[in-house]
Order: sequence, then C-alpha cells, then structure tokens
Amino acid sequence: MRVELEDLLLSRGPFTLRGSGTFEEGVHLVSGAVGSGKSTLALLLAGLLHPGSGAIRRQGVSSTLLLLQFPEYHVTSPTVAEEAGSWGLVPDDVLARADLADRGDDDPFHLSRGELKRLILACTFMRDPDLLMLDEPFSSLDCAAKQKACRMIEERGRGITIIFSHERAVLPRVDAIWEMEGGILTALGNVPGAIPRWRHAPPYLAYALDRGARPENIRLEDAREAICRIQG
Amino acid sequence: MIRIVNLRHRIVDIPDLAVDARHVAVIGPNGSGKTTLLSICSGIEEPRRGTVRLLGRAPAAVKIGWVGEFPDRTLLFSRAYDEIASSPRFRHRPCLETDERVRAAAGTIGIPHLLDAKVSALSGGEKALVALAAAVVDDPEVLILDEADSHLDGGTAARIQAAVKKSTAAHVLWCTQSMDTAAEADYVVFMAGGAVRHHGTPEEVFTSLEETCFYPTMWRIRR
Repeated sequence: MRVELEDLLLSRGPFTLRGSGTFEEGVHLVSGAVGSGKSTLALLLAGLLHPGSGAIRRQGVSSTLLLLQFPEYHVTSPTVAEEAGSWGLVPDDVLARADLADRGDDDPFHLSRGELKRLILACTFMRDPDLLMLDEPFSSLDCAAKQKACRMIEERGRGITIIFSHERAVLPRVDAIWEMEGGILTALGNVPGAIPRWRHAPPYLAYALDRGARPENIRLEDAREAICRIQG
Repeated sequence: MIRIVNLRHRIVDIPDLAVDARHVAVIGPNGSGKTTLLSICSGIEEPRRGTVRLLGRAPAAVKIGWVGEFPDRTLLFSRAYDEIASSPRFRHRPCLETDERVRAAAGTIGIPHLLDAKVSALSGGEKALVALAAAVVDDPEVLILDEADSHLDGGTAARIQAAVKKSTAAHVLWCTQSMDTAAEADYVVFMAGGAVRHHGTPEEVFTSLEETCFYPTMWRIRR
C-alpha cells in the first residue's frame, strides 16, 4: 500500500502548491506554518480537490478518510448517537470510545469543541480506512485527550496515516516527517534521521537537539530519554 | 482588576475570585467551563447568578475585544479588510482613522497581505488571525482570547503572543491548551468541573500540576 505524488501542481490565485514523494505504510507528520498549504494537500490526497497537473497514485488503497480541521463540518445528524450511526458504526461503541457515554441524545453542537472533536476522531478511527488523513487532529483537545488521540494513531498498526499538524507539546510516535513551506512539500525522510533536519520541531525537541541529544522519535519522552543518555 | 463573586452559570461555579494581573491564562480540561467563563467576562452571556466586574464595571460597559476558537462561526464580512474594519465602522470612526487602524492592526498581527482576501478562501489559521486583528483594531480595554492559538503554528503563535503583550488592553484573558504559552502569563487560573481548582503565578499553579500532562513541556525537559 502506498500513495505516490508525481510533480503535483495546484494553483489558486496567488497560491501554488507543489509536491512529489511517496507516502508508505506507517505514520507521517506534515508540519507547516499557517496558510502554507497543509489543508489543501489533505484535500488533494483525499481526492476532494484535483491537481492542475501531475498525478496522485494510490496503490492498494481501497478506502480513504479525511478528518477535517473543524469538526463541525462533519456533523450531519441532530443527535450525537445518530451522528455516530451516520458513519455506519454502532453508536454505543463510538460513545464509549469517545468518553461520551451519557451524551447520546444531545445535539452534537451542544458538545464542547473538545468533546465534538473526540466524537469525530472516534468515528474516524473506528472506520479504519487504508488511507487516513488527520487535519489538525489535536487542536481543541486538552492534553489528556491529545495523549489518547496519539495512542489511537500509534495503535492503528496498519495503513497509511498522515497527520497535518502544528502541535507543539503532545505528539505521537511517527515514521516519517514532511514539511510544507510556501506551498512546497518536502520529504524530510524517516525518523530518527529526519529529526535534526526538521525546522518545525517543537520547542522541547529543538532544546534536546541543541544540547547534542539524538532523540529516537519526536515525543516529549523521546527527547527526555535522549537527554538522559548524553548526561549519563 | 477582575472580580468574580458568587458566580453560577451552567457548569461554572466560582464563589470568589479576584485577579489583579494583566495577562491571565485560563487553562483546564475540555468541558471544564473555560469558554462559559470567558463568554460571561466578555458580556456575550449574562450569568444566571452572581457578578463579574472588569475594571470595576459590568462586562457590557467595558470595551472588549473577543476571539473565539471557531472564527468561521463569528466572521461577519466576506472580505478580511471589512471584517477588521467592522468595530471602528460600527463606532462611526472617520474613514481615514478606520483605514489607519485596520492597516496598523493587520501589520501588528502580520497579515497586511491578506487584507483584500476573501475570508472564505483563507486557511483556518489565517481566519483566526483576521479575527484577532478585528479584536485589537479598536484598542479594547480587555482582550479575551478563547483558544485562538489552537489553529496556529509555533512561529505565528509567538508573533501573536508578542502582539498581545504590546496591546494597550488592561487585561488579557487567554484560554489556551498550550501550557508553554500559559507559562508565560502573569497569572494562571486552572479550571476543572466548572470550578477554579488552582490560581496564582505560573510557578504556583504548575507546581500543583507537575504530575499531570498540564505541566509545560519546556519546564519538564529542562529539569
């Protein structure tokens, strides 16, 4: 299973997105500043936008799902339970997974923003698509819910997961890092080799790198372990 | 001074809180009542019981700049310039002054290139920046930011923090899920289950949260 981008080009007004590279099975993190084209790339990969030129080749991918940045755009049903059902899932299972067991009869828009994000995240993971794209999956979540989302990403164990995020505190273990800058997608390669080249590294990781540590992955605990190793 | 007495509204229950600091970070788990508290402080909602006083006045009598987390729900105009110009225009400021204010606010927030953009064509983070420029354009007395940084990358968030520091507002109430951002505040209020569980300087509050994921990552890595 893989997704190949070949000389992808999309122009919209003054903005141009370009990218080439291959997303293999595993967890990919795409970082980039506000307006750098992360969400546009996610829409292209999901087939919701079409490139002006170039190609996206999905090999062995039979299902694709995109978690949108703003979860309210996913909502189609008047209650939380019906919303879960609209994804083709058993509502009780979804509500248990999202820690919303007693909220089934509520209007999804009466959930707090973090609760709504938890609901849509649970639905997305339970659909278990081959190609899963998560556009800012951690925004709106508190640190405990972010850690839970990280566990869901790490435990998926199959398929291609692409995270588009600027999260700076709670990150999952990833396999590869990509950067978007001014519309240009650059593959930094696999972790840990890519970590020292990662210009958008969160502050704690940059701190560890500055001290000469070489973290195995990008999580806070990886940075702490790496510092402990060099301090003996 | 921010003074809260016998406040009860929905889940929020705050018997007594007085904060005499400029930059106040409001933190806590999802669903702990942070947004409800900020809505009351901004005058968007009237509390069922109790009072909130900002600078000795009711929130409705204070000039407030407010940014919510979902700018899509609150942006009114289709062009970024018109959105940012809305409060000076609603206050009948002269055209020239309005234009100067809009350009100054856009410059501070770092979005002069977006002024002519259609709001619908902006990215999520860019919409948050437009909403922020619209909130600071008319020099609010109190600036209220409800997780406005949730869709911003590190560099942009740092620029916003610098802009907020420079603003003339007497108080900035900033709800954030970034504990590293909250650690920079003058005062921190930690809410859970509608109540204020901890409040004080960042050192005081985060010391009681050391065993939790709410401890700032930079403090953790430097230890």
